[in-house]
Amino acid sequence: MDRIARRSFLQRTGVAAVGAAALGVPQVVSARVLGSGEAAPSAKERLNIAHIGVGGMGGGHLGYMLARQSRGDVNVVAVCDVDEGRLAAAVKSTGGKATPYRDYRYILERKDVDAVVIATPDHWHACQTVHACESGKHVYVEKPACGTIEEGKAMVRAAKANRCCVQVGSQGRSQREAFLAHQYIANGMIGRVHTVTCWHYATPSDDNPVADSEPPAELDWDLWLGPLPWRPFNRRYLHGVFRWLLESGGGQIRDRGAHVMSNALHFMNADHTGPVSIETRGRVPTRGLWDSAIEMEVTYQFKNPDWTLIWAQPGKMVPYFDRDRVKREGIRESYGAVYQGEKDQLVVWVGDGQVYTEKKAVDYQLPAGGVEVPKSPRFDHHEDWFEGIKTGRKTIMNVEAGVATAFLCVLGNLSLIVGRKLAWDPVKQEIVGDEAARRLMSRPQRYPYVL
Amino acid sequence: MNTGSSILTTAAIGLAGSASAAPADAVSANDLLTRIRSTDDAVRGPAWQGAGPAGAPAVAPLADLMNDADFEIARSAKRAIEVIVRHAGRPGAAREREAVQAALVRLLKHAKANVRRHAVWMLSEVGDDDAVGPMAALLTDGEAREDARCALTRIPGAKATKALEGAMRTASGEFQVALADSLRARGEKVSDHPTRKLVPTRQTRVTAG
Repeated sequence: MDRIARRSFLQRTGVAAVGAAALGVPQVVSARVLGSGEAAPSAKERLNIAHIGVGGMGGGHLGYMLARQSRGDVNVVAVCDVDEGRLAAAVKSTGGKATPYRDYRYILERKDVDAVVIATPDHWHACQTVHACESGKHVYVEKPACGTIEEGKAMVRAAKANRCCVQVGSQGRSQREAFLAHQYIANGMIGRVHTVTCWHYATPSDDNPVADSEPPAELDWDLWLGPLPWRPFNRRYLHGVFRWLLESGGGQIRDRGAHVMSNALHFMNADHTGPVSIETRGRVPTRGLWDSAIEMEVTYQFKNPDWTLIWAQPGKMVPYFDRDRVKREGIRESYGAVYQGEKDQLVVWVGDGQVYTEKKAVDYQLPAGGVEVPKSPRFDHHEDWFEGIKTGRKTIMNVEAGVATAFLCVLGNLSLIVGRKLAWDPVKQEIVGDEAARRLMSRPQRYPYVL
Repeated sequence: MNTGSSILTTAAIGLAGSASAAPADAVSANDLLTRIRSTDDAVRGPAWQGAGPAGAPAVAPLADLMNDADFEIARSAKRAIEVIVRHAGRPGAAREREAVQAALVRLLKHAKANVRRHAVWMLSEVGDDDAVGPMAALLTDGEAREDARCALTRIPGAKATKALEGAMRTASGEFQVALADSLRARGEKVSDHPTRKLVPTRQTRVTAG
């Protein structure tokens, strides 16, 4: 794709053609220098990191990177948020050294920024990831990767075209006991797995709905909405609770499904596949702004090999066997999954920053010639990302894997929204035989926050 | 947990994909509207959630309720239209879909902008060539043109492409660039009006140091 530096472009022409672009690929007024797409982004030893979205999980990522900065691993050079209060707090946490921005695109213009950590509400993930890749930045993006099928495909294309290392924040895959569970299953210890049944507690409902109102002074509401159709501000959109709305989140199936089902795809060696059918039953709120299903059960049928994945919310919780450890480590046993094989079953609890499994898997010793499964360095998801940047190898939750997981979450909600079973072509990655449902594979974005 | 919620299953929502699904008037539009106007969540909630079979006759009166003074009634009316549209969009229900499309097209001239905007998004889900002209007319509506652009981006076929091309020729400024982006998103080659999606515009008041 032809590119041109924004400033020189504006100086020369104002608005003009930039030369022919590939069919369907937009010409971009961008910060990248013409021809810079020939080289992969920087993989130097001490990366300059910028954080986009610094509340909630974003604050956690910032704290992690500041700790690494104190060890001389990285430089935190910029922070960005549409909430000025959160932004000011983030700047303060860096000792006033990081440059603050409200608009993430200023960060993308900076040539000294090597990588970005995106921890914005879900409706921003794909757009910002695509833009970051097109600007030559490596990306760590919070899960779920995307909000629509089209967005996920655009993320994969952008990462590949710009040779960017994208790690999606389903960090469960990087945890020690996830590795051990994976190893146990991959070595046939429970036989061929035919059913994976997840459990998770219900999505909360908006039991205190309020009228639309003016946004608070510290918030850029228009920029918070970004790609979403404009609508008046309502206090029940944020912060944190954005995840209970279908457009900006999608409920527990997307918030935690992106963890628990990520592990399922990983353990089943199914990142490159997808289901052939999706059928959802659910119970949605009768009032309030939040419209994600309170309870739902989604059945995903996979073929070749045949297996069934069930997202059950709340489902049937399996208590963790060591009650002392539950208390000692605060194990959140209210979500997890049962892997049912032809010989035995294995339970994996939680699935995000915490992962626990049964003693038989923890004690299992890999025999000579046994199947080795991926392992993140030091069981650290961020470390795996850094190694991916430096070596060019795929990360454990690479963009294709992140998107495959997000597609499960998206399709589960779509089946409920349209009220019918969906047929899915896992090779073409599209809904088949249902034109109206097919159209919901995309949600055209509000300009200029387009893919 | 909201104990006032009701059970929605694929069957209850509307016998998905079934050629023998209930006719559009199986749920009376009048009955639906009466229940949507209820201030009782236990009455209003199940009403909008089961609105699908009410079909096209319910669309216009529901749209009028979208600006009800009670925001829960207004929200329920909006969601009822969504349920109707998704029910009518099921495979094998062409006549219901066409009727709902016609009802939505009429809303594109509604006095309230929020109704016009919602109608054009709903048409993006179930509209065909017959809806393209009226949708394209909104591309000059200052309050709804961006929604119309997005909605037309989603409609397959040459007619929607031509509508976007026609609008791009007469539009100006950022909206012209946005229309060019729509065409590119549809796979069209547009040599002018490069996207400005990466150009930052919003300054913070927070300072470093």
